[in-house]
Amino acid sequence: MPAPQRKLHLTNSKGRNATVVFLSLKAPAGPKLGLPGKNVSFRRFLASTPEGLHAALQESIEEDYGAALIDGDPEVDMEEVGRTVGEVSQVFLSAKGDVMHAPPKLVEVIYDTDGSEKERRDWEDKQANVNDELPIRWTGKKIDKADAVRRFVFSRVIQISHMDGLTYDYLYGIAKELHDDGEMVLMGGGPKGKDPLVFQTNGTPYRAFLEGRIDGPRYQLLLHLSNMELRAPAE
Amino acid sequence: MARQVVVALDGTQSIFNMSKVDRSKLYGRRRRVPLGPDGEPCQRASLTEDGSLMIRSGMTSQGYFDDDGYWIPNKELVGISPEGDPVKKVDSTLGKEVDLVGPVDPSRVLDLRLQSVYALEPDDFDPDLEDSLMEGEIYEFVFNYRADFRAETAFLVANDDGEVFAIIGRLVEPQWRDPEEMIATFDSDDDDDDDDELDFEMF
Repeated sequence: MPAPQRKLHLTNSKGRNATVVFLSLKAPAGPKLGLPGKNVSFRRFLASTPEGLHAALQESIEEDYGAALIDGDPEVDMEEVGRTVGEVSQVFLSAKGDVMHAPPKLVEVIYDTDGSEKERRDWEDKQANVNDELPIRWTGKKIDKADAVRRFVFSRVIQISHMDGLTYDYLYGIAKELHDDGEMVLMGGGPKGKDPLVFQTNGTPYRAFLEGRIDGPRYQLLLHLSNMELRAPAE
Repeated sequence: MARQVVVALDGTQSIFNMSKVDRSKLYGRRRRVPLGPDGEPCQRASLTEDGSLMIRSGMTSQGYFDDDGYWIPNKELVGISPEGDPVKKVDSTLGKEVDLVGPVDPSRVLDLRLQSVYALEPDDFDPDLEDSLMEGEIYEFVFNYRADFRAETAFLVANDDGEVFAIIGRLVEPQWRDPEEMIATFDSDDDDDDDDELDFEMF
């Protein structure tokens, strides 16, 4: 089945914009755990009922808790345990354990590098910005590939592709320009092209560097995503 | 003793202590926290599709089962290739000498789907390898943190401050896009700021 394709709106070095498609590249599938010649499936199952949880057992059995565990299986409800857990809906419980019937208030908590809380503020959704009315922009800031891999940690690769003959010409032109330069160019979001790219609502923001490769009439246009520099943490 | 990365270039060994690097150690982190009416953080739970059971933390487990519903202990499981054949277990490479390949082209590193980054502190550093890394050259080696059925690809890289890193992941294979493929399928602007420094803190 073809992988789902999503749209990306970008500009080239001349400021011309187009909407094209992209796919996040994954490594080829490797071995899976299983048994030779036998179908196995990975499942989530019920291991305990609320009454079988540690705190509930401690409360109900009190001082005989340890002995009760040795003498029998008070933590196991034979009717329920082992049942496969399929689709579920998320529920929020208050600190006291009561079901909440209204959505919780969301806050954003910012922690320092030592894990201490630095700031707390109301949560605001961060919208995706790669298929906006505003295209992601060619900033003109170029970096040699060898320098880039020594300065930044790249965690994902997005491959950009054409949808028709016009967008083939457009993307091939970008790939050729970058291939001939041997450099990558920083792409940015927002009105001035300074914002990191966000591919889905509340997704990880990334700095994105566009790389082009050509082979005759064929091309590869790759957006390399990074959200951290290549450096050791301060002692 | 802590486990070490041991690599060899042309038969000369280098040994590094390793420590994992992630974004939170460099910049801190942010978390979305749901609060209840009392201002205290909420707990998350799940309701089964039929509404009969509320699942709280600690109530589920997971594992492998056969078609008859019998649980299969992990020790009985083996690696099965995408073609359906059993594969051999790959030992951990930590503490064992692994040959370096390279120098390699930086595009190899760009084609990596990242899994982890380790800062490497040299315990015993081959001077030739050190010189080569400080000149910007990059080496590739096989890495496997713990014994499993697939080893990862690692790159040995030094930054401009002379810090050495192992960048670990799996290589992706970008496809060539063709002009005949009309509907492709997959199996400096007005910026007046001359500052070249990229701000990673703002995330």
